[in-house]
Amino acid sequence: MTQRSSIPVVVVAAVTVFSLVAARNWAQNNEVNVQFHGFQDTRGVTVLSPTVDLSQDFTERTSLRLNFGVDAISAASDSCARCHRDGIRSRRQDVGLSVTRKFDGLKFTLGGAYSQENFYRATTALTSVSRDLNNGNTTVAGGFSFSLNQPVLHPTLTRENQNASDAFASVTQTLTRSTIVQAGYEAGRISGYQNNPFLRANVNGVMVLGQVPDLRTRQTVTARVRQALPSETYLEADYRHYFDDWQVTSNTLNLGLSHHFSPQFLLNASYRRYSQTGASFFQPEYTGAIPVYFTADFRLEPFTSNDYIGKVIYTPRGLIAWLPDGTGLTLQYERYQADNGFQAAIFSAGLRVPIKIFTK
Amino acid sequence: MTVTLTRALVLAAAAAATIAAGGCATVQPWQRGRLADTCMVFDADSGQVAYMTHWQEAREASAGGYGVQSGGCGCK
Repeated sequence: MTQRSSIPVVVVAAVTVFSLVAARNWAQNNEVNVQFHGFQDTRGVTVLSPTVDLSQDFTERTSLRLNFGVDAISAASDSCARCHRDGIRSRRQDVGLSVTRKFDGLKFTLGGAYSQENFYRATTALTSVSRDLNNGNTTVAGGFSFSLNQPVLHPTLTRENQNASDAFASVTQTLTRSTIVQAGYEAGRISGYQNNPFLRANVNGVMVLGQVPDLRTRQTVTARVRQALPSETYLEADYRHYFDDWQVTSNTLNLGLSHHFSPQFLLNASYRRYSQTGASFFQPEYTGAIPVYFTADFRLEPFTSNDYIGKVIYTPRGLIAWLPDGTGLTLQYERYQADNGFQAAIFSAGLRVPIKIFTK
Repeated sequence: MTVTLTRALVLAAAAAATIAAGGCATVQPWQRGRLADTCMVFDADSGQVAYMTHWQEAREASAGGYGVQSGGCGCK
């Protein structure tokens, strides 16, 4: 039922953004991207996520981006299933808006996002700036965001506050006619309520809500490469190193190859390996003296995962039905397998529609 | 100690790469044909990247590395 009611909302949103685009009259380059994602995991949870994303130029220097998405969830978590044995459905809606203004080589973005679900809401303000240097061969970027996250401690009506600040800086450099690299650093600070109100830990045989520190500082370093190879083939390689003061450390490696089989067909295959250590206070269960901090949150346990992704992008020559030239269709399938027993399959389909409107 | 050293090395390598990259030869606009392919653009499909990042953060303790963070959700 939740899924059925979500899809018309997205259709209405798509029609609305199309109408907005059609009402404009000056020269511009706009794009509507409609995507549908399906997620299913070994717990039997299914999440259907339609999204609509509109990018629109208002002037030569000012553009707007609007996105709307829904997550229709068949069962919110393992803990929900304990109380709702027939399953429980939930829905999350999120909307985001940002405005970008260009000043010569400088690009400044200001935006916000809001999401709402049954027992959680998040309000975010974000800003970012980037500057092209060295004849466009170097791009320096930075940004900051602040989120107020507010979980409700179901089944009570108590609402808690969590503040999350995040800042990043990156440098993108064109090395040669066929190589681009990027280095980035990101730091985040989360304060306030950070327990998961839906997950309980086994402490001396009693299931109780976990207790975690109310402050967390996170840091991330990234190094990324894009390399053009012969025969219309492209290599992508991304590395991420993460560490925080809960003693979680992780390493993520992404490797991918893309090949243009024709101007219309692009095939991409990629692999992601992720490995993390557990939080210093994580244990599967606790016996004896009760420690200050304890949790059964599966995200804080040590594990390794492998993710296999295949993607096809079809950009037909000429028109598809009534859609304009340049419309692209994307199909993606992903298989995620972790050594803690969790597995998931994710399917995504996307339709990207460029809309060019010229001054009369 | 080892962890601290690793972090220091990673940060130093990133900083060195950034500084070294600044001295690279300039690629002229007419030489950028292959660089203009969407495969060479980081996070070209931002919608797909946002979705993948969202569900990965719902299962993993790590976050970040791909630009400013959006708000949390009940799945995290």
